[in-house]
Amino acid sequence: MVTFAVILGWTALAVLFAIALSPSATASAPQAMPFLGGGSAETHAWQRFHFRPYTMSLLFIAFEMEMMFMYPWAVVFVSEGIKALAEMGMFLAILSVGILYGWREGIFRWQ
Amino acid sequence: MAVIGDTLAARAPAAVFAAIGPGRQAGTERLFARRDMRRASTPRDASILLVAGDIPSEASEALARVHDQIPPPRATVQWQGEDPDRIVARVMETLKDLRVSATGEENRLPDAPPNEWKGIGPHGQGGKGMMGGTPYGRPMAMTGPDIRDGLQLDRYSARIGPFAPMLPPGLTLEVTLQGDVICDVSIDSPPFAQPADADAPDLCLARVLRLLGLDRAADRVLGGKRPGALWVQGAISRGLGRIDGTDMRDRVAAWRKGEAAPLGPFDLPRLLIGAEWSEAMLILASLPPSALIRAARAPEAA
Amino acid sequence: MTVLLLVLAVCATLLAGVVLAALLDRALPELAGTLSRQRIETEAPDRMNRDLAPAFYLALAAVGLSVVPFAPGLALIDSPVGVVIWGTCEALTIIVVFLHGWSPNAPFPLIGAYRYAAIGLPVMLPSMFVLIAAALPAESLSLVAIVDSQREVWNVLRQPLGLPLFLVVALTLTLRGPMDFADAADIAGGTSAEDSGAGRALWQVARLAMLVSVSAVAATVFLGGPLGPVLPGPVWLWLKTAALMAVLVWLGNRVARTTPSRMLTILWVVLLPLSCADLVISGVVAL
Repeated sequence: MVTFAVILGWTALAVLFAIALSPSATASAPQAMPFLGGGSAETHAWQRFHFRPYTMSLLFIAFEMEMMFMYPWAVVFVSEGIKALAEMGMFLAILSVGILYGWREGIFRWQ
Repeated sequence: MAVIGDTLAARAPAAVFAAIGPGRQAGTERLFARRDMRRASTPRDASILLVAGDIPSEASEALARVHDQIPPPRATVQWQGEDPDRIVARVMETLKDLRVSATGEENRLPDAPPNEWKGIGPHGQGGKGMMGGTPYGRPMAMTGPDIRDGLQLDRYSARIGPFAPMLPPGLTLEVTLQGDVICDVSIDSPPFAQPADADAPDLCLARVLRLLGLDRAADRVLGGKRPGALWVQGAISRGLGRIDGTDMRDRVAAWRKGEAAPLGPFDLPRLLIGAEWSEAMLILASLPPSALIRAARAPEAA
Repeated sequence: MTVLLLVLAVCATLLAGVVLAALLDRALPELAGTLSRQRIETEAPDRMNRDLAPAFYLALAAVGLSVVPFAPGLALIDSPVGVVIWGTCEALTIIVVFLHGWSPNAPFPLIGAYRYAAIGLPVMLPSMFVLIAAALPAESLSLVAIVDSQREVWNVLRQPLGLPLFLVVALTLTLRGPMDFADAADIAGGTSAEDSGAGRALWQVARLAMLVSVSAVAATVFLGGPLGPVLPGPVWLWLKTAALMAVLVWLGNRVARTTPSRMLTILWVVLLPLSCADLVISGVVAL
């Protein structure tokens, strides 16, 4: 209960602070143009952006799921002993093969 | 509270956006190694526009646009080669005047949208269909094949420069980006001519250091000290900007020893096409201004 | 009553911390200068996200600081899953920075935003590895329990790789030096290239507030937080936090930043195996 109240409270306070501090912004058309060192753009900047490390993000999801299993694992680790260490070691080893494969395929480069 | 804010603001280094003209690159870059001057990387972060030298008339519209992009209150300071101490004093005086003025200088460009759009078409976007027209005064980007993996995604075209802080002064590039990789680039206008003093090893090294996020180290180098930074050579990938067998790492190593790194002729667009944006900016910073100016002028002469 | 005191303690720590961070950055007068300028609208921006991104960044820093115990057994959010709450703050920071770069509808902020997402995601992995390695000897995900588990020996000795790896995470979360891929110089200040006036000042303040928070968490997890002789708990926490802030500012000013694709490879191929090793070391020591 306190946790939620605190999180909501800080968020509300920060938003109020931001609104109080930020005046409304105005600009003429040339003023509003994106800064390009004096140059000009032809199109809007918002676009279907080519996010090159997208293959990396797939590998990231695999590791992120693994993180979820690790939270309960961390709590019972000492009572389970060496068995828990071996199990997580195996799991990580399998996932690490994914890193090696991805590295060979060049997914960490901007392809 | 307001009093504290004003007192603090009075002690701040002057946030200056520099528009550097022909022959003034070395002097301006040395000016910003001073503690009381800060070179803003964007006009939105500045209150003073420093115009160093005579800006050619082709660049006057760009200069007006950069001027307008500085948030009010703002002011312009002209620098025609006076002593640096005098120019700093003048900047400080202008800043003091700005603190009592509400708006400073007026806009130079008329408030007209870049394209006609309001009231034309079903949603006022000035055209028909999903991707057509000019919503909010500008068309949307369209797809094209990528040069690295052939995916069909949007291409963004823009003219960048002549006063972009990461490009040499005067250089305007017509760039087509897909994501953050340069698909196509052509030189709109070459960099302004600079005398040989812009090629000084410490200036060249300082430019690279600033791109690597080491502003303090760059100031130290310009003050004649060692950069005092970690992983400078290592941060630069091997093979980046390779020309006649020397790459960027070799050139930076030479500058660190205080030696010049002369370069033969090269094809500038070919060096940049296919590079990711930060790599391209590092490559540009690794070319001494004289070599860069020669390379940028070559296609014009041909 | 204690809750009220702790709320005040979090507020005071953030406020004093931001001032200290600005002094370390030599940016305090500049912040005041930025605040006195007008704010310029960009072309067809996403107004809601533009205003909310700095506010949420600040809120994440405040929530992060709330899980930190100011004295042994005394935290504003005394949750059994404190580490998870802090992990959420880290992950949401990526989204906040992305939205900040997205909102002005301009190319350089947009490039900074996507770049930061690419680097920020893999940075989350070492972060969670070292935090979980710190949770092993405590047999709990609560930061209060992690502090208690360090009564004999601090985690910085138990898992020597932990603090250096967490400093990399801290540099990423505070957009600093070698990990500042969002607001870099080659894209004219990146996600904040189009910020002016009060909006810009607020973003810088939020960044400094995150520096305070992440240093406080690092001090708690690796340096025993409020544990220490003679002086009261909060004072020890403040001293350790200030020391880590100074270290982070120093690193940010001294270490070069490489290109994003190269950093991505380094994160996966060097830092991730190192954090696995850190987990194994900590596991073996805990048994």
